[in-house]
Amino acid sequence: MFKLLKEVFRTGNVTVRYPFAPLPASPNFRGKPQYDPERCIACAACTIACPANALSMETDTAAGKRTWQLCFGRCVFCGRCEEVCPTGAIALSPEYELAVMDRADLYQTAEFRLASCRVCDTPFVPKKEVDYVIALLVHAGLPEAEAERRRAVVETCPACKRKNDVPRVGSLGPLHQMGMIP
Amino acid sequence: MSVSTESRRGTGYVAALRQKLPSSVLDESWQTAEQATITVTREALPEAVETLYYGHNGWMSVVVGSDERLLNGHFAVYYVLSMEGSEKSYVVVRALVPPDTMEFPSVTPKVPAAVWGEREVRDMFGLRPVGLPDERRLVLPDDWPDDLYPLRKDAMDYRLRPEVTTETETYKFINAAKSETTVVPLGPLHITSDEPGHFRLFVDGEDIIDADYRLFYVHRGMEKLAETRMGYNDVTFLADRICGICGFTHSVAYASSVENALGINVPPRAATIRTILLEVERLHSHLLNLGLACHFVGFDTGFMHFFRVREKSMELAELLTGSRKTYALNLIGGVRRDILAEQNLRTRQLIGELRGEVTRLLDILLSTPNMRQRLEGIGRLEKQVARDYSPVGPTVRGSGHHRDVRIDHPYAGYGSIPVGQHVMDGCDVLSRTLIRSQEFFDSITIIEHCLDNAPPGPVLVEGFTYTPHRFALGYTEAPRGEDIHWSMLGDNQKLYRWRCRAASYNNWPSLRYMLRGNTVSDAPIIVASIDPCYSCTDRVTVVDVRKRDATVIPYKEMERYCRERTNSPLK
Amino acid sequence: MNAAQPVTATASPESEREQATRLKRTLLHDIRRSVYVFRIDSGGCNACDIEIFAALTPVFDVERFGIKVVPSPRHADVILCTGAMTRAMRLPALRAFDAAPDPKIVIAYGACGCTGGIFHDLYCVWGGIDKIIPVDVYIPGCPPTPAATIYGFALGLGLLDQKLKATHHVEAEGEQVTVTHPRIPYGLRIALEREARRMAGYRQGREIVENFFILMEQDDGAPIRERIADFLARENDPRLAEIVHRLEEICARGNGGTDQ
Repeated sequence: MFKLLKEVFRTGNVTVRYPFAPLPASPNFRGKPQYDPERCIACAACTIACPANALSMETDTAAGKRTWQLCFGRCVFCGRCEEVCPTGAIALSPEYELAVMDRADLYQTAEFRLASCRVCDTPFVPKKEVDYVIALLVHAGLPEAEAERRRAVVETCPACKRKNDVPRVGSLGPLHQMGMIP
Repeated sequence: MSVSTESRRGTGYVAALRQKLPSSVLDESWQTAEQATITVTREALPEAVETLYYGHNGWMSVVVGSDERLLNGHFAVYYVLSMEGSEKSYVVVRALVPPDTMEFPSVTPKVPAAVWGEREVRDMFGLRPVGLPDERRLVLPDDWPDDLYPLRKDAMDYRLRPEVTTETETYKFINAAKSETTVVPLGPLHITSDEPGHFRLFVDGEDIIDADYRLFYVHRGMEKLAETRMGYNDVTFLADRICGICGFTHSVAYASSVENALGINVPPRAATIRTILLEVERLHSHLLNLGLACHFVGFDTGFMHFFRVREKSMELAELLTGSRKTYALNLIGGVRRDILAEQNLRTRQLIGELRGEVTRLLDILLSTPNMRQRLEGIGRLEKQVARDYSPVGPTVRGSGHHRDVRIDHPYAGYGSIPVGQHVMDGCDVLSRTLIRSQEFFDSITIIEHCLDNAPPGPVLVEGFTYTPHRFALGYTEAPRGEDIHWSMLGDNQKLYRWRCRAASYNNWPSLRYMLRGNTVSDAPIIVASIDPCYSCTDRVTVVDVRKRDATVIPYKEMERYCRERTNSPLK
Repeated sequence: MNAAQPVTATASPESEREQATRLKRTLLHDIRRSVYVFRIDSGGCNACDIEIFAALTPVFDVERFGIKVVPSPRHADVILCTGAMTRAMRLPALRAFDAAPDPKIVIAYGACGCTGGIFHDLYCVWGGIDKIIPVDVYIPGCPPTPAATIYGFALGLGLLDQKLKATHHVEAEGEQVTVTHPRIPYGLRIALEREARRMAGYRQGREIVENFFILMEQDDGAPIRERIADFLARENDPRLAEIVHRLEEICARGNGGTDQ
């Protein structure tokens, strides 16, 4: 009993003052994903990596836009989005005060324009992503004019690319002669 | 993966099996140097499992069902045995089940430890273990349709939510008592915390004659999810969420099952970081249980102090992982964070404080006379009952068995670390509590050792290819005992089958034996002593069979009675 | 109120909802210093429940605000629900909800409680508390920390303001993403970033490699080796030195050339 009393007095008051004083989390705490839509190229890497499907993306071909969405209520704060984002557009911050009264406030969305396929004129790829790819090509050492020329390839949808390839492959001669099919 | 013949451990067991059942062993394959899978004929299955279990010091780890009709036209059942004789290894007995009869002989009559595994295989695949004494549902809810088996490959989309079939709960509870008894149901909702579970205590006066329980209120369908929506790395984050206390051990067990299947060597530094985090998890988990032990003997001041100190271990987790729950740190092939000087120093400081604080608190706790009086001789798990049901962790170590995955089957960095083993013969709640308190200090020593000897090099390997249909086990010693995962890789960058088994799953079946012969007032303390992701009790309905009336006692009252032991609510 | 029905499906939704709002306002006023909470675990992994527990114990001590966990829903003003609402917990949860006297505040706790979290579309869950009972406050987190719990309660009781608001960004004309570190050759940059992640993980690795890039880009006349040595001496961290030396080796191998 005496030991216990001693322990009680030794300990004193340990209660934190939060919410009357701020209570910072540790510097690498995984809290609210901080998203910068201006740095986002809508490439969808985060939506594929997200194990909880808190991140999702919807492509509206008719309107020519793609909508990125983050649901804070579904996020499990694993930081996979941060790990895979090629442009550093999303990173987990130490912010944890996320409670809301209205479910709608749990959602953050961003809308991006799509570039159309050069061949079939169907919108399919975010404009910002194409621009970023060209910028990377330049950065990797390609002359600017050459990089711009490649834009035509980047802006061709996969279906049209396949169609374009058929006559070219055909002109190479029968596939079995090339050893590509047995 | 080819495992060289010389490096194999456990060949003796396979040879013994071939000798005992010469015409029944059909195939032998080695997943790693200490994991063998032996395919036997269906008829020989019970005898093969019994031979290994009782004849060669085997313990039942998990029963895995698998729908392999796409691979070989059959269903398969795998009985995973942890062999703990002179050679330590895992031997898996496999039998094929034909899709036309769906029947196989039950192992449970010979080895009782298989009971939950076989009930689960029945629920999830619709396979019939012939001769299984207990044919009630285990995992699926009462309102689930009868002929829908979620884990069959052709059964359903993982998102299908069938119509509710019943608006009442239909589970039948079993009472082995010979004479008339009073029924005391507890749960499924409860104040003290956690997982919902419904208990029925069958009592005569104050004495518990028998007990039965309905768990799996939290069955969500994770195994199906891992086989459908998720890729290999995503499942590590799902495995975290099997358990809110020992999530990291599950995630390590899963990751190592895949790594074992592919023969990936995790970098030594990653293995060391995993070891540190596994022990951090043990710190906060054991403090939780020690705190609850205080609570249930009516020493609430101690309870509050243990929880105050526990916050230091939570801070440690937050520092090392970025989350108070050590979540989301594993990938296949390594970990996602390193320990730099800043974390290293703070970790040493925090565990130093923890060592001092907990030493003082335990001294207070153990010198409280009430403590010994309430825990000694209570909730006895006899050595033989423990042998029959294969419990794990402090529960089995408190009954005199030397079982610890860290020592028997070293994983992560444990192969090169001195790990103390604490075993007691008391078979009671006191033994289990004392073992936990000793292990707490061991964990601190292990963390210090790992920090001092952390090897250099990377924390992650990448760039391997996933070979379809390889499979292997992954295992860890969670704070509550052995966690085991069995993974088979698929051909579409997803798992073909994932079976995870948490420590408490093996401890629950033996709980009824611990409850028998004790008084009602000790029930919460006994349940808490297996640390079942903890005490699951709420409202207590007392049905007195003799008086033919029912009274409802709030759980608070029950808990008060447990603490004060006066004014029995049953009178 | 029949709890099995969503609130919007009642006969005269407007009036009833208004009534509920008014009643809740009265409730909030009456219970400001004494909030009785009943917890329902509707199929969570326990992490949330233990964090609630942690919030009750000395370091966070929510009882100082009069918040108390009660053993019976009959005494509850607030129902705190964790878990993704499994099939098996639907009936027990509904029973508990109905047993609590009106008006009551329902808090969905954690990712699973808010939306079903990582389990949101599984066969054996209903995907969030609000699929079964109407929810007033959502506390996201996996699990929410005790501080986040206190914040959520303070919000629900009208003591603090809500910080998170729905946002919608529309791509502006000419919005473009620039390539970072344009002076460092692309191939080298990727090689360094990969090595840093392999050595120290995505978070610390990125921090280290960003510092390394800054050192590479500095133009103060001193050779890069000296700048790095200075930096490492300041940091005094053997593990960091090991990682930075690896990065230096990659530069030396000349993966695309450096500014040396």
